[in-house]
Amino acid sequence: MNEATIVTEQLLGMAEKFGNFSKVINRKVPIAQTPKELVWTLNKAKLYRYVPVVPEEKRHPVPLLLVFALMNRPYILDLKPGHSFVEFMVKSGYDLYLLDWGSPGPEDKNLKFDDYTLDYMPRAIRKMKAISGSEEFSLLGWCIGAILTTVYAALRADEGLRNLILLTAPLDFSDKERITFARWVDERYFDVDKVLAAFGNMPGEMIDYGAKALKPVENYVGNYLKLWDNLDNPQVVEAWQAMNTWVTDNVALAGGAFRQLVVDLYRNDRLMRNEWVIRGERVDLGRIKANLLTVIAEGDHITPPCQSAAIISKVSSKDKELFRIPGGHIGIMAGSGADKRTWPHIEGWLAPRSK
Amino acid sequence: MSEKQAPNGKEPDPTDPFREMRDGYLDAWSKTMVDTVNSDAYAKASGMMLNSYLSTSSPFREAVEKVMLQALQQFSMPSRADLISLAERAVNIELRLDDMDAKLDRIEKLLTKPVSTRRRTTQPLKGIKKRKGAR
Repeated sequence: MNEATIVTEQLLGMAEKFGNFSKVINRKVPIAQTPKELVWTLNKAKLYRYVPVVPEEKRHPVPLLLVFALMNRPYILDLKPGHSFVEFMVKSGYDLYLLDWGSPGPEDKNLKFDDYTLDYMPRAIRKMKAISGSEEFSLLGWCIGAILTTVYAALRADEGLRNLILLTAPLDFSDKERITFARWVDERYFDVDKVLAAFGNMPGEMIDYGAKALKPVENYVGNYLKLWDNLDNPQVVEAWQAMNTWVTDNVALAGGAFRQLVVDLYRNDRLMRNEWVIRGERVDLGRIKANLLTVIAEGDHITPPCQSAAIISKVSSKDKELFRIPGGHIGIMAGSGADKRTWPHIEGWLAPRSK
Repeated sequence: MSEKQAPNGKEPDPTDPFREMRDGYLDAWSKTMVDTVNSDAYAKASGMMLNSYLSTSSPFREAVEKVMLQALQQFSMPSRADLISLAERAVNIELRLDDMDAKLDRIEKLLTKPVSTRRRTTQPLKGIKKRKGAR
């Protein structure tokens, strides 16, 4: 074989690889495949119940409600069959519910944490209680969902919440040096009112840019190189596509909630100082008495570990655990090792407390 | 051309050294960028860029909104504000319906409770005394 033929073959191979690469990055794959039924709606919010696969007598009697962040789609919890936290928990015998906040429209620009925690959550929980027949329940909040569940747990401590699981919870905003977002939204540099006057809600694309800009090389270059290097590995390609489908599916954040996040939390750390007032009620973390598991991702750059640890010393819960795990903000729940480390730990903690 | 095999059984990839070099370079670049974005200078610069974008685009956005509003009025079409107001009213109705649903659930729960439990939990109304001789 002469050199010209070899070079031609290599170029053709490269062109084919580019073609495959282009197809892969633009393809949306089916996600959130675990069977579920819609049981409640309010505005854009939807409550789903996953169809149980374990007979009722073998199921845990205490239902579990998953509450994800406001600005991302919750199907990261049910990414793809065979690699889904939802599927894992349903198979483990939980009566499982998911609160999907939906995508806020212009009419929702004034929605605040007050509305989400005192209007939407109590109503969804009421419906869950009615369906499950259990007055007690467990809550799992991830990221901003952990703020929502924490606030709910403090304000409605006597309404049946037995177990509270917080994943990568941004609750403590005191260490401004280590929280990059806190630096970006400092009032000297970021005019929150001007942004919201222009857009109403905080656009999903801007939030996505903010999250990616924390690690720009990994997100804008490394992520695609990883795919390029593994194009001939169907497992890696499939996992990459599922994650990419989720990452590029952005949701806006309601203007009122975004303003609270910036002003009350990132700038003034009102939640951890027990100074946050939600619809006239002060959020006193000391009122939380549910069993508490807080999971910290040691390599989290979105919610640095310093933001999630202090809650343990603030609550009145007698049964509480802080679980640190290597990995990133999303990786601990959706990465390739999640089914071996994070999920079994959560399930192992929750099972004896759901009897 | 003789082909050597690596100890793990895989054929040696001639691009491996380049890949390692690339990954090393990316790691170094990544650390520099993480430090850069986590600085006051970056926060200030990005804030200024956003501010200037918002200030520049604001007159255009307002002009477009004004023209759009006039056009919709010309065609007797509802404006964005009208639709937002309608959507807000729909949410209020949904809230009322949800309240009614909650009440119905409570009533249903009371009705399905065993009679003996209901009797035990029923409290006599205050201020109403049983008349003498009443059955």
